[in-house]
Amino acid sequence: MTTINILSLSKTYPNSTAPVLKDFSLSIHDGEMVALLGPSGSGKSTLLKLITGIERPDSGDIQFDGSTILNIDPNKRGAVLMFQKSYLFPFLNVEENIGFGLKVQGMSSESIRAEVKRMLNLIGLPGIEKRKPGQLSGGEGQRVALARALVTNPKLLLLDEPLSSLDTSVRMNLQEAIRSIQRELGVTTIFVTHDLGEAMAMSDRMALLLNGEIVALDNPEALFHRPRSLAAAKFMGVSTFLDGDQLTVKNEACSSSEKIFAIRPEHIRVQKDGCENSMQGVVSDCVFRGEYVEYQVAVNGTSVRARMTMPAPMFPHGEQVYVNFPKEHLFEVEN
Amino acid sequence: MRSHPLFSPWLSLAPALTIITVLLGASLLYAIAESVGYISVIGQSQISLDAYRATLQLGSEFWTSLGFSLWINITSTAISSVLALLLAVWLSERRGNTDTLALNWNLAFPHLVWSVALLLFLSQSGLLSRWAATLGLITTPADFPVLVRDRFGIGVILSYIGKEIPFLTIIILSVLRSQSVGYDVVAENLGASRWQRLRYVTLPQVMPALLAGSLLVFGFIFSSYEVPALLGVGYPRALPVLALRFFLDPDLRARSEGMVISLIITLIVMVVAVVGLRMKDEG
Amino acid sequence: MKYIFRALLYLILIAPLLLFAAYAFSTRWFFPQPFPVEWTTSTFQHAINDSRTLSSMAQGIWIALLVSVLSLILALPAARVLGLRQFRGRQLAWLLLFLPTIIPPLAIGMGLNILFLRIGLAGTITGVALAHIIPTLPYTIFTLSSAFARFDENYEFQALALGANPLQIFLQVTLRMLTPSLVVATLFAFLISWSQYLLTLLIGGGQVITLPILLFSAASGGNPATIATLSLLFVAPPVLVIAFTARQLNQHGNQIREQY
Repeated sequence: MTTINILSLSKTYPNSTAPVLKDFSLSIHDGEMVALLGPSGSGKSTLLKLITGIERPDSGDIQFDGSTILNIDPNKRGAVLMFQKSYLFPFLNVEENIGFGLKVQGMSSESIRAEVKRMLNLIGLPGIEKRKPGQLSGGEGQRVALARALVTNPKLLLLDEPLSSLDTSVRMNLQEAIRSIQRELGVTTIFVTHDLGEAMAMSDRMALLLNGEIVALDNPEALFHRPRSLAAAKFMGVSTFLDGDQLTVKNEACSSSEKIFAIRPEHIRVQKDGCENSMQGVVSDCVFRGEYVEYQVAVNGTSVRARMTMPAPMFPHGEQVYVNFPKEHLFEVEN
Repeated sequence: MRSHPLFSPWLSLAPALTIITVLLGASLLYAIAESVGYISVIGQSQISLDAYRATLQLGSEFWTSLGFSLWINITSTAISSVLALLLAVWLSERRGNTDTLALNWNLAFPHLVWSVALLLFLSQSGLLSRWAATLGLITTPADFPVLVRDRFGIGVILSYIGKEIPFLTIIILSVLRSQSVGYDVVAENLGASRWQRLRYVTLPQVMPALLAGSLLVFGFIFSSYEVPALLGVGYPRALPVLALRFFLDPDLRARSEGMVISLIITLIVMVVAVVGLRMKDEG
Repeated sequence: MKYIFRALLYLILIAPLLLFAAYAFSTRWFFPQPFPVEWTTSTFQHAINDSRTLSSMAQGIWIALLVSVLSLILALPAARVLGLRQFRGRQLAWLLLFLPTIIPPLAIGMGLNILFLRIGLAGTITGVALAHIIPTLPYTIFTLSSAFARFDENYEFQALALGANPLQIFLQVTLRMLTPSLVVATLFAFLISWSQYLLTLLIGGGQVITLPILLFSAASGGNPATIATLSLLFVAPPVLVIAFTARQLNQHGNQIREQY
């Protein structure tokens, strides 16, 4: 049950000029699950390495409950990491794997056995103590790895894309399992992912990372509906930006100081007739996706992506249409 | 474990590198010093090239031994290479682990013991000779051809062939097995006969590895002492045998000549090894 | 057909052992009898009760143990960085460490003979063991570095994050993960040292007598029964090791086997 404070952390790797993290700050409440979302190279994994102590920061501080952990040995920090691969020790069985952290602390083997049993019940795999890691499926392996991480009662749980090598159905299953176990134990957690859906489904708050900096930090709903910056909006799947004054479609980010409005693709209407806040365009693509239809409409030389749930009209390629941006769905973003 | 700025890989390499470079460097330096007559044991500190002159002068035993060594070398390497190639091609068409077990088995018999086995098997009173007598082919041991400790180094060559065929076969086999069967099938589909496939598809694939392996074998045989010392005759002697006899001679001038010969062997082996390793990297 | 072939193959494989056994355990086997007619264990018993044989075996085992442990200690850190790190000068390090496989033992032994005479290591077990490390170290490093190259350091990070200290990680994770390669590397270091003739001769200088030295001098003029008996004693360790590790050898490089 720990509050985590990361204070203006900076890190540049030797033999490299660009910093991986610059002036990075983040506070995490006790028992909270924060998702770190960003493309590869955005500094997510480096942050985890700094917290676990595999790497040292150039400057800044990391505090658990208000006191720094930078001078604590990596193996004493209580920040436990779980990777994309389970990294279960192949020469140990499930029981010995889960008990590893307790054994190196010197706990008695009876207590370890009891703890392992409790954890196996918690992850929903009772009775597999004697199995070897090679006999487990990918999902089971990750559950056991989770149990191994949690059995030591860590102050902070770090999840480094723990689900990205699993099949979709197993993945959904584990998302729920991890989330409910995390809530039940109330362990403070940082969850690194590049999957937007996963981050939204699992976290209390999401931090968007770009080039070593947080570009947005909020709860998933707020971030989804009203991202405050252009970068955050793009991250959240917004591709249409409008010039504030003339209501014209903007191509990429513009450098002017004018106001920029953004709109989510599912709020854009594509229709035969013009109305208020609409522009004429030509359909360049119209794809039926089952639950919705996806449109690409060329407006003033740029492409507007829209998505309308069924029932929605289908338009042939080259059809003249109007693209409508309902006023209530437009929101202002900072450039 | 952590990439600490002060941590250098050289720190980890230091113990092994120190041992190797100090021992090798010192031994080579002493070898060179001794070869130029700088023998500190008896306090002689005059540098001279007498030993080189004596060794390389026309008509010295060095040249006979060099010829004998080359004969043994070229014959054993060539025969082993050809037989290993045929064996590997034949084995690659079959599957199974028995072969690799069998091919590794020769590691169980170091060169020394392998030569001893040949000695017991092929000498004039050896097992083969007894069998020949039983079959009525010969009547006395002296009738049996001299196959070990013979003038032509037949015993030495046989010993090397027996050890090197498995070694080379494994090298070739690993190339053949790593290559997909695709090329062979394509070539067959294009109408190539079995012989043509061997000549134009298989051979070019294994050639770099085979050449590199042959050169390694050549280098090894050229500097190896036990086999020719045990299975050879007093004259002609293989170069390493000559070098060691000179070196262990109580006459200290002979020691220098022994060193000279050993340095010449080293030079030749290193040139061959460098060529061989380069071929291997390219292949 | 397949079984006949296989039987023949195994017969050829054990032929040298059969040959040695025939000579070692027979008596009054005169020309031209094709096979031994009278069997005895007296030669064998005589040989293994001979104090020279016993002490040569004891010295050989002691030296080989020393050599394998030292090679392992020297090789582990070097193999780790060579297997896991990319750094400037890596090629140079490889080259230096593999020089012993290129430079003939003959030259190394002759040079070391003079050096060790001067510093008092000639004729000592320490000196012989030190010399044996030259051919064993490259093999050990090669075997272990390819094991490290297949090793994922995240196992260590995982153990670290779970609270293990560096010593616990090394003993309980790293060594355990590398066990098969460690076993192969150690066994072969042992065998290379055990069967080393030339370096032992040149450094031991008649003071350190191991089995190959004894066998060599017997083979240069002893009776066949003694030669065969010594040969059997000499090949026993390698035969056992190869019989049990042959499968594993496939996965390891064998470019240094020629040393052996």
